[in-house]
Amino acid sequence: MKAFVVDLGKCNGCYACQLACKDETVGNEWPPYSKPQPDTGQFWLKMFEKTHGQVPKVRVEYRPQLCRHCGNAPCMDAAPDAVYRREDGLVIIDPAKAAGHSELVDACPYGAIYWNDDLGLPQKCTGCAHLVDAGALPHCVDACATGALQFGEEEDLADLVAQATDEYDVEGTASRVHYLNPFGLFVSGEVWSKEDDLIIEGAQVTLRDSEGSARSAETDGFGDFWFKHLKPGRYVLSIEAEGFAGVGERAIDLKESLNLGDFPLDKR
Amino acid sequence: MPEDRTVYKSTGMNAFGIGANVAEVDVSGDKIVRVRPMRYDKKYPIEQLKPWTIKARGSEFHATLKALLPPYAYAYKKRVYSDHRILHPYKRVDWDPQGDRHPENRGKSKYVQITWDEAAQTIADEIMRVKETYGLPSILIQGDGHGETKVVHASHGCATRLMNLLGDDWTYQARQPDSWEGWYWGAKHMWGQDPLGQFDMGNLLLDIAENSDMLLFMGCDMETTPWGWQGQIPSQYCFWLTEIGVKQVYICPDVNYGAAVHADKWIPVYPNTDAALMAAVAYVWMTEELYDRDYVDTHSVGFDWFEYYILGKEDGQPKTPEWASPICGVPSRQIKALAHQWAKQRTSVAHGNGGSFIRSTYSHEPARFEVALMTMMGLGKPGRNVVKFIEWYMYGLPSQQPAPCYSSNMTVGAAYRGWDFVQTKSSITKTLVPEAILGNYDDDHPLTWQGYTVAGWPREDQFNTYRYPIEGAQGIHMIWTDTPCWTTCWNGGNKMIEALSSERLECVVAQQPWMENDCLFADILLPINTKYEEEDIGQDNGAAPFGLIYHEEQAVPARGESKSDWEAVGEVARKLGLYDAYVEGKDVQAWIKTGFEGAEKPEDVPYEDFLEKGYYIAPTRDDWEELPRGFELFCNDPEGHPLSTPTGLVEFYATGLAEHFPDDDERPPVPHYIPFGKRHQESLQCDRAKDYPYLLVSNHPRWRIHANMDDISWLREIPTCKVTGPDGYKYEPLWINPADAKGLGLESGDIAKLYNDRGWVLGGVIVTERIRPGVVYQDHGAQLDPIEPGVSDRGGANNLIAPTKTTSQNAPGEVTSGFLVGVEKVDVFLLAEQYPEAFGRPYDPHNGVKMHNWIQEECE
Repeated sequence: MKAFVVDLGKCNGCYACQLACKDETVGNEWPPYSKPQPDTGQFWLKMFEKTHGQVPKVRVEYRPQLCRHCGNAPCMDAAPDAVYRREDGLVIIDPAKAAGHSELVDACPYGAIYWNDDLGLPQKCTGCAHLVDAGALPHCVDACATGALQFGEEEDLADLVAQATDEYDVEGTASRVHYLNPFGLFVSGEVWSKEDDLIIEGAQVTLRDSEGSARSAETDGFGDFWFKHLKPGRYVLSIEAEGFAGVGERAIDLKESLNLGDFPLDKR
Repeated sequence: MPEDRTVYKSTGMNAFGIGANVAEVDVSGDKIVRVRPMRYDKKYPIEQLKPWTIKARGSEFHATLKALLPPYAYAYKKRVYSDHRILHPYKRVDWDPQGDRHPENRGKSKYVQITWDEAAQTIADEIMRVKETYGLPSILIQGDGHGETKVVHASHGCATRLMNLLGDDWTYQARQPDSWEGWYWGAKHMWGQDPLGQFDMGNLLLDIAENSDMLLFMGCDMETTPWGWQGQIPSQYCFWLTEIGVKQVYICPDVNYGAAVHADKWIPVYPNTDAALMAAVAYVWMTEELYDRDYVDTHSVGFDWFEYYILGKEDGQPKTPEWASPICGVPSRQIKALAHQWAKQRTSVAHGNGGSFIRSTYSHEPARFEVALMTMMGLGKPGRNVVKFIEWYMYGLPSQQPAPCYSSNMTVGAAYRGWDFVQTKSSITKTLVPEAILGNYDDDHPLTWQGYTVAGWPREDQFNTYRYPIEGAQGIHMIWTDTPCWTTCWNGGNKMIEALSSERLECVVAQQPWMENDCLFADILLPINTKYEEEDIGQDNGAAPFGLIYHEEQAVPARGESKSDWEAVGEVARKLGLYDAYVEGKDVQAWIKTGFEGAEKPEDVPYEDFLEKGYYIAPTRDDWEELPRGFELFCNDPEGHPLSTPTGLVEFYATGLAEHFPDDDERPPVPHYIPFGKRHQESLQCDRAKDYPYLLVSNHPRWRIHANMDDISWLREIPTCKVTGPDGYKYEPLWINPADAKGLGLESGDIAKLYNDRGWVLGGVIVTERIRPGVVYQDHGAQLDPIEPGVSDRGGANNLIAPTKTTSQNAPGEVTSGFLVGVEKVDVFLLAEQYPEAFGRPYDPHNGVKMHNWIQEECE
């Protein structure tokens, strides 16, 4: 079975995958798998982009999104005559049989199916089945410059698949697109000495979640601390620095990534 | 629709015959099917390529075997099939070379189709008329810029070859180093470094990986600016640096696209205040004795002058972190932290050209401060160098190749039909073209400036005074451009629009594939084709990890009546009876073969073999690891390997500047932080900031290369590419911090006006934390869509309102970022009532202003 692996830790947000998808499918017809994708407004592969944090602790999250080629595909249940799974696992909306099946758009819990009004067809990523048949990679994977997108036999990718998150999966769909290194949320801040007007390096910062498990970080040479890849929830942050009055038990209700700002500490 | 052919095409955008980012283009019949990355090992065994591996800190970084194409390459076929293509020759409807020429209507009146025969004859007649009436110096050739990279069909400068046959005193538009002004006008006087003025960066990917603990990205966006030159190797490399623990610190007002994914630390500095920040770093090092005093003693002259300034003995103001903090917007403790980290950790500096660091007023000063700081830390010691992630292997110099060197650079320059890089008798530096046209300059009262100004000319040339017009000559009366993007890429485009409408200009010819930007002001338009419609040869410069030359077969037939730049000029040459001399007796195939034969290959390669395989590769050098790293040779032996300064050492006190410009207080012999001065008031420190309270950062664009590609629908639907206004128009994004947006009553999706005393442009607001308060960000190069030509623009081409004045008194560079603007919310529907013609222009949000808006009759 074929699978995609998307290593979000390697994605630079260049959109080459989204553009390559259009290069391959807009104005090109790939029978028996697909009719052309509309020029604009629809994205068989769509990049998700979100800015996290506040000045000066800001990062950008990117996530390429495409059909999950589910092992248990809701679209196949919705229109069994129009959607089929190839032997290699790629799920195809048959353009010869799917005309009028607009219900497929809502059937996909990932929003990966679009309605092509001009053709009266539901459409989505085919995994570039026509290229795979010819022994080539899907065009988005070929275009990826950083190795964030991979495609291959599931067993060859097993080590990576084992590390994948289910954060973006809808339960029960058995997605064959596997995401590594989800961005999550971050908490960050800066610790400094008010009296010296100097940053404090090596301050111990602790972040405890609501279940009591704690992570700790040391401030770096700019006085900064970072806790990355957090889940939303309630946390408690505390800061200790030798020779300084620390910061005790600050409650955080984490919904979006947060720059807590700077913590000027007084000398003890 | 299976493809039936695959051809090679460089997708780089260097434009001077120096290619990059080679793609395999699949073609079916007359249609481009797709663009794929080239596989270097497709026709040659791995053993022959000898791909390199950089090993450091227990990890390995491997040479890529597929081209790491920039994203736009996958959308570029849209450019070939663009609705904006000029497919026939055109003449402005009310321009009558035999009668009234209506120069005042340039940019307003429309065009009618004419034949190639009429177009070529008219241009030839105009050339001869202007030559006989005023003399050849009255013809200005604009032949530079960032079009497609082509060799025989050179995008820029083919007309210079024809003009050379008519005489040696036609006027050339001398393009200054627009993306690295500061190093050219400043650093050159401190560390020499001819021809570029930038740093030696040989082998630095290896050195940084092995030895640097920290990399400082000074205004550098290594995820954007390098795309047209280096593709995405820099991206791969920076991910690897993170993996092996090299800390990446971004010093810039914006979270640029490099910072967005690679930054361990962002220091949000105000634009063009880096010199103040660095002065304070120097202060910390001096007062805490943290710098390499022995190195300074043996490798530099004039340090005491620098100390005198930094410690405040010159002006009574020590350049402390507390002094710098309100200027640069960085807390004093963070400035001290930077100074301490930089001293403690082996630190290199990274650039991508452009950005907020180097294209503003007095840009020679931040460049010189950088040289000063790097010298204080032992420039050239392991892990302490300066690298840029763009323009690798420039001028074929191994010292400009930070990646492992290959055995031959294999230049195909023998086939290059653009400008020949020979100094012309008559020239105008590009920044001064509007001034030259509009000012009352003549033989007795010429316009003067310093230096020929073309990138690569030697330091000493900056001490030569040039003039327009040259002695005995008259001013410009005709322009022939293959670079019709002055207004959108240079300094103060509104003044250029005014100049283009001047009655002094009797004829303006533009040749270009697309109807955009300066084309709107031409009298004659020649239809040019894209590289996909041409056969050519090319060389890759440092985007491939190997030496690479390739044969670019024609992918699709020429659209409409379009011809290549070289062929178009050839049509005019025919009318002048100079065709054979112009083509030097060779057709395209013969020139391609000449280019191949001129390339210095490491072995004997039959031409037929090259054509059959489609490319040839020179492998990695066996001794690449032994090649000098950055400034290593100078560092180890300054006497044996002197710099190209008068003293051979780093000159904290620039002896050349002291000798030639002793009274220049805008570029004194010793680096100074200069917030504003006689020429420029573009700082938050000066009174003008009361009227225009924000600094604009205008980077090289994310989704264009300069002014190229603004019409690609697949790019325009990317959220950071355009903002759709309430009127459905896609506006150029304007980033503004939430704190500023609140005060201005702006929300994402609003349309705002960016204004100053030079005009105004519109932008689509994105309220974002990616820009610091007090600063707004808008990329440069948006397609021109004039509201009131010379005053205002709907497209958001902010170069229109950049300062018209040059870098400083004796440095005629451009100032195109880091200048003052006001920001104000607008109601586009009210504007539409006020300017019905501009806002009623036929428009397609997916592509921009429609071509037929400018055409009197539909032709296709």
